[in-house]
Amino acid sequence: MRKTPTPLAPLIAAGATALMMATGPALGAGLDDVVTGHILPGHAAFAERTAALADTAAAECTGPATQEAYHAAFDAWMGISHIQFGPIEDLNLSLSIAYWPDPKNRTGKALARLVADEDPIAQDRTAYSEVSIAAQGLFALERLLYDPAFSSGPYVCALTATVAGALADTAGELADAWPDYAELLTNPGPDNPVYPTEADAARKVYTALYTGLEFDRDTRLGRPLGTYDRPRPNRAEARLSERSQRNVELSLAALNQLADLLATDPAPRTSAAFAAARRRVSELDDPVFAGVADPMSRFRIEALQQEVRDIQTEMATEIGTALGVTAGFNAMDGD
Amino acid sequence: MPDRRSFLGGLLAATSLATTSWAAAGGPAYLAAARGSDGSHALIGLDGAGEIAFDIPLPARGHAAAAHPSVAEAVAIARRPGTYGIVLDCRTGAVKTRIEAPRGRHFYGHGAFSQDGTRLYTPENVIDTGEGRIGIWSREAGYARLGDVASGGIGPHEILRIPGSTRLVIANGGIRTHPDSGREKLNLDTMAPNLTVMSEAGEILDQAALEEDWHQNSLRHISAAPDGRVACAFQWQGDLYDPAPLVAVYHPGRGLDVLDVPEGRLMAMNGYAGSVAFFDGDRRIAVTSPRGSVLQVYDAVTGFVSQMPQEDVCGVAPGAAGAMCTDGLGRVGRIGVTGVEPLARHPLAFDNHLVALPV
Repeated sequence: MRKTPTPLAPLIAAGATALMMATGPALGAGLDDVVTGHILPGHAAFAERTAALADTAAAECTGPATQEAYHAAFDAWMGISHIQFGPIEDLNLSLSIAYWPDPKNRTGKALARLVADEDPIAQDRTAYSEVSIAAQGLFALERLLYDPAFSSGPYVCALTATVAGALADTAGELADAWPDYAELLTNPGPDNPVYPTEADAARKVYTALYTGLEFDRDTRLGRPLGTYDRPRPNRAEARLSERSQRNVELSLAALNQLADLLATDPAPRTSAAFAAARRRVSELDDPVFAGVADPMSRFRIEALQQEVRDIQTEMATEIGTALGVTAGFNAMDGD
Repeated sequence: MPDRRSFLGGLLAATSLATTSWAAAGGPAYLAAARGSDGSHALIGLDGAGEIAFDIPLPARGHAAAAHPSVAEAVAIARRPGTYGIVLDCRTGAVKTRIEAPRGRHFYGHGAFSQDGTRLYTPENVIDTGEGRIGIWSREAGYARLGDVASGGIGPHEILRIPGSTRLVIANGGIRTHPDSGREKLNLDTMAPNLTVMSEAGEILDQAALEEDWHQNSLRHISAAPDGRVACAFQWQGDLYDPAPLVAVYHPGRGLDVLDVPEGRLMAMNGYAGSVAFFDGDRRIAVTSPRGSVLQVYDAVTGFVSQMPQEDVCGVAPGAAGAMCTDGLGRVGRIGVTGVEPLARHPLAFDNHLVALPV
């Protein structure tokens, strides 16, 4: 949904200074919408779906209903996986929800160790947050539900229910913490210790959006693409549960929504770039990006990667500049 | 009661200090290079409250500066692969003189003075061979070049003097670059970074490195304590999702001890530590990651203590209470227990480093 530009918009278009934009009223409206239309409902959905997953896993372990609930929870995660600031950062919860990429197979090894030892922690949902973070969260559940190395038995059954339960607890903790943090994000001012100006708050959200696109491009697409001479299809995200393509689709949809809410001016080129990339990924018909290893289909995934880069470029011009955001002076330095 | 001669001597010394000392330069506590909103570059003096004590133009992007141990004089050194060094009178802003890297060399943005303040040391790259050298300059002779010595590795980046001593420490980053290929890294497969301890005469006294598995962990920035410990901050060139630790402490004669950190906190640094500083009586260490937009505090023995978000943060230095940090958004802050307390904000982008001046 596109919002009506505020009266400040013509000033921005006319090239007002970053400082004027920083103090203008337009950004605050965007931030309220980001919180109420994206962040809070996204976290509530993730908490609900993981709670449902925990209930299902407790009832039927690793069966098809649990797999279905796992997909629903993962879908919900893709709606907010780019929100890597605020409570998730303060509470250090990111990796215990989604431990990926995992080039050293730490998830597989950590779970295999628990199973081999029949570690009693599998019975303790509350204490489970103490185990290796590689054995927690969505990617641990994926192994337990889809990796034939973990054939179902009473121990794996209990472990699955516990991992799902602990994930639901984490998601609940995150959803509970967001309303307070949202107060900070939407009420910038001199007494706000984190966001003294609206520009600071808007920059935080914009950076999350930009970094989310970068993760899709460099990591979700870039890691399986590898190089032309050495494609790495085994590095595709969530390939055991065949979610690699779906995750990029859902991530781009969520980022598109966030961009629409954040932008206070029409951003037609950004919208068009999102539409092009979303169309291409939805038409890929390559659930685990196996096509990276085949020169004929590889180019379509490379083209998608380029289209995600195009979104970043358009967004930097249409949204980033209006927010007074440029790439970090020190972050880009490399010394 | 002092006799007349020592009284006069004392008076003279006081007069001379009053006119050339750091106090005469407006009481700055820190130096930082910065870019102005008009794209110009400057060396900024900051007081302990984060306010600007002085502002001296630079011809191109700076990086860090070497502060003279007693006289209000600093040498701003060009960012890699720049070749200028500008000797500034920090009382007046006047350029006292310039140094230029010898033909075929470039600087790395850092430098350090000898304990007696008579010599300046500058890490340099021999562009054709990639060899790391330390240039030596005589302040007494108007910053004439005296010569140079081996840095003990490739890509010497930060150099410091251990406070109260005549020993220098050098972070040899291990990465070879050539100005013809910009900042491209030419030797990632074979790089071998190290920390080198050197006498002021240029004699290598000790070297330390991480284990071989982490040879792609580039040591760039250091902070030195009077007891000879050196806090080391690394930049990981391997897989970001299989990261090496980024903070270690060198103990004289014992090598490097990696500091413990939870995996999620290590990942938050994005493989990149930009700057490091001992603080709190050299018991704690602050490290910054502009790429992760976080600042982390470590106990020098037990490891990770806390993390706070701070956009584009990089410069960090010890302060009267806690430590101070600067960022690319022009903010100066004091590092607290749970967050960064804002002190001041300027229409500047502070560059990588915040250099604490002699008290």
